[in-house]
Amino acid sequence: MNFLRQSLALLCLNLKGLTARAGAVLTILIGVTCTVGVLVSMLAMGTGVHRQALGNVRDDIATVSGRGAGGLDSSIPRDEATAVADLPGIARGSDGRPLISYQSVVIIEGRRRGTGVRVFFPLIGTSSNVTQMRPEMTFTAGRMFHPGLHELVASNPCIRTFTGFELDARRAVRGVDWTVVGHFDQGNSMQCVALTDAETLMTVFSRNAFTEVSVRLKSPADFEAFRAALEGNPALHLEAKRERDAVEEGFKRFSALLNFAAYFVGAIMAVGATLGAVNSLYSIVDARRRELATLRAIGFGSGAIVVATLAESELLALPGALLGAALAWVFFHGMAVSPFGYSFRLDVTSQLAAIGIAWALAMGLVGGLLPAWRAGRVPVTTALRAA
Amino acid sequence: MKFLPLVWSGIWRKPWRTILIFLQVSVAFALFGVLQGLKTGVQQAVDAARADLLLVHSRLSSLTEGLPISLLEPIRSVPGVRVAIPVELFGGYYQKPEQGVGIVAVTPDKDWTAAFTYTIAPEYLAAFARSRTAALVKDLTAEKYGWKIGDHIPLKSNKMQKNGSGDWAFDVVGIFTDSDVGGGRYIIIINLPYYDEARATGTGTVNHFNVAVTDPKVAVSVADAIDRISSNSSHETKTESLRELAQQQVQQIGDFDFLIRAVVGAVLAALLFAIATMMVQSVRERTSELAVLKTLGFTDRAVFLLILAEAITVCIAGAALGLALATAAMPIAARFVPGLSMPKITLAIGLACAVLVALMSAAVPAALAGRLKVAAALAGR
Repeated sequence: MNFLRQSLALLCLNLKGLTARAGAVLTILIGVTCTVGVLVSMLAMGTGVHRQALGNVRDDIATVSGRGAGGLDSSIPRDEATAVADLPGIARGSDGRPLISYQSVVIIEGRRRGTGVRVFFPLIGTSSNVTQMRPEMTFTAGRMFHPGLHELVASNPCIRTFTGFELDARRAVRGVDWTVVGHFDQGNSMQCVALTDAETLMTVFSRNAFTEVSVRLKSPADFEAFRAALEGNPALHLEAKRERDAVEEGFKRFSALLNFAAYFVGAIMAVGATLGAVNSLYSIVDARRRELATLRAIGFGSGAIVVATLAESELLALPGALLGAALAWVFFHGMAVSPFGYSFRLDVTSQLAAIGIAWALAMGLVGGLLPAWRAGRVPVTTALRAA
Repeated sequence: MKFLPLVWSGIWRKPWRTILIFLQVSVAFALFGVLQGLKTGVQQAVDAARADLLLVHSRLSSLTEGLPISLLEPIRSVPGVRVAIPVELFGGYYQKPEQGVGIVAVTPDKDWTAAFTYTIAPEYLAAFARSRTAALVKDLTAEKYGWKIGDHIPLKSNKMQKNGSGDWAFDVVGIFTDSDVGGGRYIIIINLPYYDEARATGTGTVNHFNVAVTDPKVAVSVADAIDRISSNSSHETKTESLRELAQQQVQQIGDFDFLIRAVVGAVLAALLFAIATMMVQSVRERTSELAVLKTLGFTDRAVFLLILAEAITVCIAGAALGLALATAAMPIAARFVPGLSMPKITLAIGLACAVLVALMSAAVPAALAGRLKVAAALAGR
């Protein structure tokens, strides 16, 4: 109890003395602010990618792809794709037909507005019941494509980012003119996606296999039954994944790369800022040698001095963490970036702020250890005699 | 020069403080070096990409769409084309799916290597032309999987053979190196005529054509001439040089430029402030010593320069260590981003930044020291 009271009293004393040491305090503040700000902003990229990728994911949708092949490599022959519709667990639409959409993906090039830089985006051939599968898809202009016609609809980010997506604009793809007939929004996704009729697309590209099949299940709990039926059928060389797992798998490497970069840079900056903090705390302790010796002489324990100095170090790190997280939020939250041609918004969440604060407290602890040790061992007699 | 000992003793007045600042500068410049080196290294890789090698691929997508092999003769007859070689790309794996291998199928016509960035010994080339199932293995691939010349390597692919099997096997007849840093890491070269006959689907189409032009200056007009061959057909082409392709890749990662600049800015700002406060502290502690120097006849300017010299020495030493660390780390980073190296210009910019940081951070404390009034300082006022 006495120890705690001593530590608290010393901490108050320390904090009152800080105004006289503005330089040292500011060094710690700015160091921690910069580190936490950079760390949180960079982590916000990973969170942004994740949020966008999973933003429109539904638990009751299962994705079927060729066994052992994800993404564009997957190939599902027509007969196998048709057989999927007979499997158990698939929900039925208002017309009584199973909610299933067949997709065929081709990658085509677009030109960025203004700069004219070439960017690739997916043109997804799909079934026209896609709006039943994806209720979050809402048309902001025009209408859905008609099956059999060379028509396509584009998500609004396409119109903002690329040229040639205005209504009634014509795009030549594989020697055929395709007319843009509708614009749609899909949840919070920033990614450009163009949709058209799968059969028409496959005819033009003389393809005979789908890339992917999505089914809407009656309930998320039906997934296991659906998967067992699909993978138990010897005629089908397919595998089923929950949409969430399929999407996460696709983005695993990208988010891992972004997070690695964030923690790498964050760690190096933290080392630098901690060194600065150690220096500042040393100078604070040095400047107070006589004061500390006096305190020891009148009965304060050296343990209490150590604890009080550590607490002071943590309290100095905290405002920097809050400021850094706040700055990251003010400047970068919602900022649209598109590294590697994938567009998303930075997402600064309270979770990231918490990581930033934890980072700062760790810096405060490590940075405070040596100076606190030194403060606790100020030799009473020599320090009082000197100067 | 005679003031060097004075600067030196000033630096080591409080060894701990100096060492900490030195380390902080080192850490900051190590980060600076890695980030800046990444940026400049990528730019240098682009400039090194060959402008006389053209890639003819589908206008729709260079990955998923093929081109008919019948385009080969018209392309070869375009004036300025030296060598044109059809290339098919597909993926497979060795033993388990994580061990991917990129498979490049080429027609080994006369002088075919002129249209590639590969370096292959003549005896390997001869052996490759002799056998239909021969494979040339990139040095990195051979190293990774322990393949030697004479090995029979079984690969699995989702490209099927006519008999419905995805199992392929090739005989290693040689090892090659690739000077194009953007090329695949784990690749092998096989015979396109053999593969085209054996595969179940896609016969008669290829992923792209590699074209070497007689002179880099005619590359653009040759590219246009090649694209005109198939304009308005169902398989329009897009012809670009390796350098143009590299430039586009760099533009795609463009947003990272901003990021790198922001991080480097934050690091240097924090460093600036840390050094400035430490120098102010140091000058304040040495008030009486500096006053004695002035009493001995040191001018205001000399004292000002003395403090500045201390900051510059520590900063340059720290920056040198940091940049050396970054240079040492580059070969490791090159494993993830091929072709990275530390450009000399980055080292020069780093040292210049160090001097700048030192000047800016020491300006105020040095001015304080320079303006010190002797009488007041000695009196402890």
